[in-house]
Amino acid sequence: MSGSDLDGFGDVFAIAARELRTVVRTPAVVALSVVFGLTVVAVAAAGSGARGGYVPLVLDLVPFVEALVPLLAVALCYRAVLSDRKSGELDVLRTFDVSRPAYVGGVYLGRGLALVFVVFGSLLAAGATVPVLSPPDPTFLALNEAADSPVAFLRFSVLAVLFALAVAAVALAVSAAARTARQAIALAVGLLVAFVVGVDAAAVAGLASETLGIDAVPLALAVSPNGAFRSLVLGVAVETGGGGSPTAALAGLVGWVVVALAVAVLTAWRPVE
Amino acid sequence: MTDEPTTMPNPEPATTAETDSDESTGEAAVPASNGPAIAATDLSHAFGDVRVLDGVSLSVAPGEIVALVGPNGSGKSTLLRFLARVRAPDEGTVAVGSESGRARVGYLPQQPGFRAGFTAADTLEFYAQFVDEDVDVAGVLERVGLADAADRRVDALSGGMTRLLGLGRALVGDPAVVVLDEPASGLDPGMVERLFGIVSALADAGVAVVLSSHNLGPVERTADRVVVLDGGRFVADGDPRAVVESVGATDLQTAFGDLVATEEVTGR
Repeated sequence: MSGSDLDGFGDVFAIAARELRTVVRTPAVVALSVVFGLTVVAVAAAGSGARGGYVPLVLDLVPFVEALVPLLAVALCYRAVLSDRKSGELDVLRTFDVSRPAYVGGVYLGRGLALVFVVFGSLLAAGATVPVLSPPDPTFLALNEAADSPVAFLRFSVLAVLFALAVAAVALAVSAAARTARQAIALAVGLLVAFVVGVDAAAVAGLASETLGIDAVPLALAVSPNGAFRSLVLGVAVETGGGGSPTAALAGLVGWVVVALAVAVLTAWRPVE
Repeated sequence: MTDEPTTMPNPEPATTAETDSDESTGEAAVPASNGPAIAATDLSHAFGDVRVLDGVSLSVAPGEIVALVGPNGSGKSTLLRFLARVRAPDEGTVAVGSESGRARVGYLPQQPGFRAGFTAADTLEFYAQFVDEDVDVAGVLERVGLADAADRRVDALSGGMTRLLGLGRALVGDPAVVVLDEPASGLDPGMVERLFGIVSALADAGVAVVLSSHNLGPVERTADRVVVLDGGRFVADGDPRAVVESVGATDLQTAFGDLVATEEVTGR
């Protein structure tokens, strides 16, 4: 085998391929992915959403996606860099002249692809229940056939993928910055709690105490990946017009990805002491 | 504090009689092609208040085998990591002979680890993607005695086999310099002999080898130079026989004990 054609991006793809194979070969991650998929499909099948159409299903799934996607993303990524550092493979990779951006990019690409496959695939499976379960006549929630289309659900699924990738980037940054497994777990759990409930709770508290004005709500929602995802779903996927500014929310998610990956790149080579 | 070692004749490397390893050990400039394969100059490093290296310099010629010996905690692994360029010292420079392309230093860490779930062959094939040359993975496994374990998962390898796979990984791409941290650790006597045989073959092929080891018998028989490191300084550097004779010992094991004990007595 020759690596003559591998430089920069080639290194990224080589590392990504290994990450993908690692994920597929890790029983715990596979089990968690299956549980995620089954849960999403079960929510669709058991709830009233799928019987009402795509938009009601989206509204049914949002809370589950907000809670489960970060869990899945963190499980996939929170030890990725740390494990390589602990095993000494980071040191060895450095002797092969692999750059920090190539390494982090490869890990992110590989694990991100696995995440995309699981999240997108699961949501598509959930969406596939709508034609099966929905009655011929729309329910009161699906008032407009044009609004309630597979396209809306597809937009939701794409946004869920973007949300998952944002949390995965943060988990990767945790993995690169943490020096011990315990530290990584603590940071990951802390971030999960902060994303799922912390930022929202802080925003509500800010509004209640009038520290935050009503004008600051869109920005506050965009600050956390969960809030940004919710804003995007309500503003872009189901188009209710509520939930803040989609532009700010999109910028928030992309910002998390960029900042988190930058942190991962900067801290990836930090030695274990 | 001086780091002048116990002075011994420093013989020319076996395969590079015309190499003057002192001439190129200066600044961070890349050594000339006929100079040392790797040159470390004035390396100093501390972990907090503990100074693990104190201004050491080491130059290794192509085809030369240099063995670092010293008590635990003497700074051997730290020095080897600097030579492998996986960590930067607080002070000093490391220059490798050929910096063109993706030339690298092959490195065997003290505790080599691998991604679980992959076979030995998978593992080497992964690393082979990062070198410019074609890599005969089966040949590398054969070279380190793991041909029969090519399809075995790395997490099912014994400790000794894991170390041999680490050696194979270090050899991927045929680097001109190989740095081996305790390569014989955990190996049975037969494997130790085999490993030092591989090291000799590497040197015969012109590869500069720097290794650390507590197996002083094979070191004495195989190394062109022995560098005794204690307290972050070189306390002896030379041909193994010269090091042994310098302290009136009968073998390297005894000489090592005398050298380290002497340093401790002097209150360095």
